[in-house]
Amino acid sequence: MAKFFKRYRDRITGMFFVLPAVAYMLVMMVYPLLYNFLLSFRDLTVMNFKGNTSVFVGLSNYSTILQDPAFHQAFWQTLWFTAACIVVQFSLGIILAAFFNGKFALAGSVRGLLLVAWMMPVSVTGLLFKYMFLTEGGVINDLLKMVGLMGGAPLGWLINPSLAMWAVIITNCWIGIPFNMLLLSTGMSNISHDIYESAAIDGCTVLQRFFRITVPLLKTSILSVLMLGFIYTFKVFDLVFMMTKGGPLNATEVLSTYSYRQSFTLFNFSMGAASAVILFLCLMLVGVFYLRLIRKDEVM
Amino acid sequence: MKKLLALLLSLCMMVSIVAVSAVADEKIELTLWHYFGVDYDYSDGSIFQKDIDNFNASQDRINISYEFVSREDLMRQYQMGAISGELPDIGMVDNPDMASYIQMGVFTDITDQLNAWGQLDQFFTGPLNSCTQDGRIYGLPHNSNCLALFYDKDALDAAGLSVPTTWTELRAAAKALTDPATGRYGFAISAVKNEEGTFQFIPWFLSSGGKLEELNGQGCVDALSFLNSLIEDGSMPRDIINWTQGDCNNQFISGGVAMQVNGPWNVSSVNEMAPDKNWGVALIPRADDGVNASVLGGENFGITTACENVDAAMEFLTYLMSKEVSADFCEVAGKFSPRKDASESKEIWVVDPIFSVFAENMNYAMPRGPHPRWPEISTAISTAEHEVFTGSKDVQTALDEAAATVSAILAQ
Repeated sequence: MAKFFKRYRDRITGMFFVLPAVAYMLVMMVYPLLYNFLLSFRDLTVMNFKGNTSVFVGLSNYSTILQDPAFHQAFWQTLWFTAACIVVQFSLGIILAAFFNGKFALAGSVRGLLLVAWMMPVSVTGLLFKYMFLTEGGVINDLLKMVGLMGGAPLGWLINPSLAMWAVIITNCWIGIPFNMLLLSTGMSNISHDIYESAAIDGCTVLQRFFRITVPLLKTSILSVLMLGFIYTFKVFDLVFMMTKGGPLNATEVLSTYSYRQSFTLFNFSMGAASAVILFLCLMLVGVFYLRLIRKDEVM
Repeated sequence: MKKLLALLLSLCMMVSIVAVSAVADEKIELTLWHYFGVDYDYSDGSIFQKDIDNFNASQDRINISYEFVSREDLMRQYQMGAISGELPDIGMVDNPDMASYIQMGVFTDITDQLNAWGQLDQFFTGPLNSCTQDGRIYGLPHNSNCLALFYDKDALDAAGLSVPTTWTELRAAAKALTDPATGRYGFAISAVKNEEGTFQFIPWFLSSGGKLEELNGQGCVDALSFLNSLIEDGSMPRDIINWTQGDCNNQFISGGVAMQVNGPWNVSSVNEMAPDKNWGVALIPRADDGVNASVLGGENFGITTACENVDAAMEFLTYLMSKEVSADFCEVAGKFSPRKDASESKEIWVVDPIFSVFAENMNYAMPRGPHPRWPEISTAISTAEHEVFTGSKDVQTALDEAAATVSAILAQ
């Protein structure tokens, strides 16, 4: 026995160190997840909420949801929203990061200022943009009119189903660009300047330097930015909720607002739980993929 | 010896402090959550909170502390509270939502206490029904309201028109009052995609003979087609799909619309913010060969299942809904008392040119539900409205779908 302790002493000590974190995760994350998971196999609605008389219904919530056109719409819109946001915020983020990586006056402080957009509470940003996107009297329509990009009727950013998603995407990119820039420029500053100098001596152009040196050496940062960006964007809720509540006509409905609406507006708690599980599975898939990529990288 | 004396003395003092605070603790503390607006002195929330202050000052056994919680947050709190038990002692609910929360077990059955109180026969049936489930009563209606037409007298006079009473007259007047040069629209309702949108749609289909049970029948089709024709004429802004009733009223105040449909709770804000406006109120225009119709709104208060001192809460509730308090509150806040004796006790509902019209309209006001799944019914209706107003579906298709959803719920 003593031998056992001696042999595993370090491990046992280590376990005590992780215990608080594990306990926290169990209570705050694993329990709600499990509860939600079990809920999705029952038929809890407003009618049987009291007295806990809901029964086990197997996968029927899932089959109802998968046949619901509104869910399909929400699913594809979530993917479209995520893809559009990632493309825009990553490409603008990396350009800005490269720009601010240069050694010029105020580079550091301006980069810091840009982060304000990311540090603001999302609900505040959502509310501000909601007012900026107003059809009548919104500053965005006024600006478009001033520079002559919009003739005739003002654009119904948040009331026109085909425009509303763009308004939300633009707002989300405004938050996402500084986040991408921050992570990428941290990666960039780790690349030694000697490499650039010798490349410059060898006659590399700026573009060559960017694509042949910066991008390959940034691979790990780029992957984590893309993965984290995907996860943050895919589970968007507060922004959509503040700006459009999923409307007009479900045009900006995403999986999280769909789940919220099922649970908190329509009182179909189990349907809400089932759609939350689907959202969770999508994110878990990406998360597992991300972990594998990192592990491979670290071994190399 | 001195030390011992000092110790004893300080002990005595401590005991007396504890004793005093123990006496103070005996006062029953109850919490109350409401979503009445408290933005200015004459807003309903300020008047309501004064009622509570008066109750607290009138006796020294019970203290009610109130808190403003936005309507949406409050509804979410009820659901979470039903599981976790974290509820206020007394809470406010919009009357069509009450049935859902009774079903979820948020409110306590107070039928016996109310019967002992002996004043239930003074309450109007419609509002009281919204607190009732399977013959048991879970709360009391606090105020009632209905919708009517607000119109700008000067604008109508300038166009040489009289106040519209039928749909044909309304359509013509809305067109005549629309002025693209000043950006003024002739008419607006709120069609926001929530309970407010449904609330505002109900008077129209009731007037043309539509029924909740037959949403795709001719009456409802006519009503939705008529409203859509106002948008297509350009006399009602398409933005109404995002306008709450408050937004609608702000547009009326600022002159952005010349006529609107709204409720008596907005009368004081029009007077306050546009004191020079020459305006009036009329019955909602009826279908050309239809009937006058309106819709019943209002809020209820119930004692929650988390309340440990139902008797004290009942004492407050019966104070709040006594004839005098109810009559005074409703008179100043621009609402209707759900008590017959209270409404009869004030002249304002008979002589005031605006409130007398609302009083007449109350006769035509239909209650919503009560049904525990009313939120689903309401969502189906406001969705159909949105589909038509955004032009994504025609009237018949949109209403066919809504009717399928609603009849499936009603059939259960």
